Amino acid sequence: MSSGLFLDGEPWVDWSWVSTHIPTILGYLGQHVEFTVISLAGGIVIALPLGVAAQRRRGLRLPLLGAFGTFYTIPSLAFFALMIPYTGISDLTALIPLTLYNVLILLRNVTVGLDEVPADVLDAADGMGYRPFARLLRIELPLALPAMLAGLRVATVSTIGIITIASVIALGGLGELIYEGFIESFRTPLVVGMVLCVALALVADVSLAAAKRLAVPWARSG
Amino acid sequence: MNRKLGPRWLLAGLAALAIAATACGSTPSSSGSKGTITVAGFNFAESSIMAELYAQALEHDGYTVNRKLRLGPREVVGPAIKSGQIDLYPAYAATDLEYYNSGAGEASGDVNATVQKLNARLQPLGLEALTPSAAVDQNAFAVTKATAAKYNLTKLSDLAPIGNQLVLGAGPECPTRPFCLPGLQNTYGIHFKDFKALDTDGPATRAAFANGAIQVGLVFSSDSDLNKLGLVVLQDDKHLENADNLVPIIRTTLATDEVKSVLNKISANLDTKTLITLNGQVELNHQDPDAVARAFLQQHNYFA
Amino acid sequence: MDFLHGVWLWFTNGSHWQGSDGIPTRLGEHVHLSFEAVVIGAVIALPIGVGLGHYGRFGNLAISVSNVGRAVPSYGLLVIAFTVFGLGDGPIVLALTALAIPPMVTNSYVALSEVDPDIKEAARGMGYRELVQLLRIELPLAVPLIMAGVRTSAIQVVATATVAALVAGGGLGRYIVDGFAQFDYTKLFAGALLVAALALATELLLSGLQRTLVPKGIRLLTASASRRATAFKTA
Repeated sequence: MSSGLFLDGEPWVDWSWVSTHIPTILGYLGQHVEFTVISLAGGIVIALPLGVAAQRRRGLRLPLLGAFGTFYTIPSLAFFALMIPYTGISDLTALIPLTLYNVLILLRNVTVGLDEVPADVLDAADGMGYRPFARLLRIELPLALPAMLAGLRVATVSTIGIITIASVIALGGLGELIYEGFIESFRTPLVVGMVLCVALALVADVSLAAAKRLAVPWARSG
Repeated sequence: MNRKLGPRWLLAGLAALAIAATACGSTPSSSGSKGTITVAGFNFAESSIMAELYAQALEHDGYTVNRKLRLGPREVVGPAIKSGQIDLYPAYAATDLEYYNSGAGEASGDVNATVQKLNARLQPLGLEALTPSAAVDQNAFAVTKATAAKYNLTKLSDLAPIGNQLVLGAGPECPTRPFCLPGLQNTYGIHFKDFKALDTDGPATRAAFANGAIQVGLVFSSDSDLNKLGLVVLQDDKHLENADNLVPIIRTTLATDEVKSVLNKISANLDTKTLITLNGQVELNHQDPDAVARAFLQQHNYFA
Repeated sequence: MDFLHGVWLWFTNGSHWQGSDGIPTRLGEHVHLSFEAVVIGAVIALPIGVGLGHYGRFGNLAISVSNVGRAVPSYGLLVIAFTVFGLGDGPIVLALTALAIPPMVTNSYVALSEVDPDIKEAARGMGYRELVQLLRIELPLAVPLIMAGVRTSAIQVVATATVAALVAGGGLGRYIVDGFAQFDYTKLFAGALLVAALALATELLLSGLQRTLVPKGIRLLTASASRRATAFKTA
């Protein structure tokens, strides 16, 4: 129950609980990472070809962004719950909404990134004899990489946060620790869950920023 | 070699990571087990303890058990077992009967009659209820000691004349459960000033009692810390709540004689007092339901 | 189709528009929570971002703090607020405000720091004193990106306020949480629709506000910058 920062002298972290629950905590962390990676990968696999198509054909852009944008406005708790009649209480129940959310962010960034490839570079490539697919793969996508990686960063941090809500329906992840902390008025799992979640998001964010600097050193930071 | 990672390597790396993650997601199948059973529990501690008792006993007996603890309220667990997503859960005889008969009002204080009617309802669904335990956990309505003193309350019918001054707090499913809000209105004639959707006997309900947001709250009668919280349960003098003994509900295809005997043995070893003690270990001492279950089973020589 | 018909019936049911669980009440609670969080957040975030951007100091610190802010899971923050401060609107607004601040700090910092230094120098040359220069030259140029930050923040808050229902809060999230607990998918879906509609309305309202506030010349000048605002989902 509440009553200020120090509840009846109860500490915020009970280290004996932490030390006896390391396997459980790591299990939740692993689930969280798994959900994040799979939904991001799924998002990339869908958004990349769709983004290329949307950038090529003006007519596709609005419908695609509109369709995935619609998924994006569905509150995650509702989306997870609405999956249950179809996918039950399984990993897919969490993965499908998470992936669809990521598609929107990545789709936007793929199209914007490809848009920003300078026209004269495209002309030069054509002049050098690049066929369309080769041009896409070897010129356009690499130049669009900064924008795409920026989108990946946003998608990653966002996904890590949303997965905590999936735990409310017992789907796993670090949110289970937060839920346990709430339901048992027990602060330790709450703190552990929060700290690990923030740490995971920061590590992912910094890693992606570093990966971007390695992959595209000529790009402006941002 | 000072070659910087090119963009193509990055894309390839991400793809590999994705494939690896997908591969790691698959679980290995176990060999040599008597079969697989999926055990579920409702989203409160007592149910997790019960589910763990079933799960660990079955595991010791040679079954592979999948756990889906904290699955949700009955409105989620019921459909899950009907569709075969789960196979077994610890049910409460009277409340579950009124769930499977859509609130027909068949439950009573007689546990055997209640379970008999329950099985009649379960059979067409391919489910069955086993032998009920002596352990009972009923829905109970509590008020703070101060409220009880102020209005001189000892039983639920005392609320009827003053209901419109009081706010009721319970889980969100209360307005649709025959034993909850509708029952209080129909059996006791209590019409509350307002209803607050909280959690049944959870942190929100306790906080709501503490800051006066609610005066009456739904709790579990086998809760271990009601006294400590300054709450007193009002007596159910018109017997709205009926025989809510703990009883395993299982899908008939899995209810072999062996499984049944394992589960019935657990039910036989439980009574209400034991239940309250087990709950206390989780609620007050912050122990985990599975540890509490294991200790209990060891104490009763299940693993001998 | 049957299901959607059921949702339509839910909306046209008169009793769903009355009482403490009625649509107007829940909508009002949701707007109230969101509005307070964004306003309080803006009062804190905008001066900080504008100040840092104008002086060009501690930019990296500001961005880093914002990144950490974005990394905090909204559900966890709401639970912590509940654990420390208990039941009620206050703790919820506190948590939502904390979530509202990062996008507004980042955007206002970038907005101010990207003001063309030539313009600033011209103003100085014309004799503008610093505060006046800030108010009459830099801020108007920065408004589009600042407003984009406020818009992003507002939509984020509106979406995240649904999670308040998980810690016994009010608002439209109640329909989602209660609908799930009661296995009433019609109510759940209706709740989701209402939240989406409110988010859309917020976006349109604030875009319209931006268009009336920002002079056309500046709008054209900074068009590309304001399109950069990326929505970030926290719930």
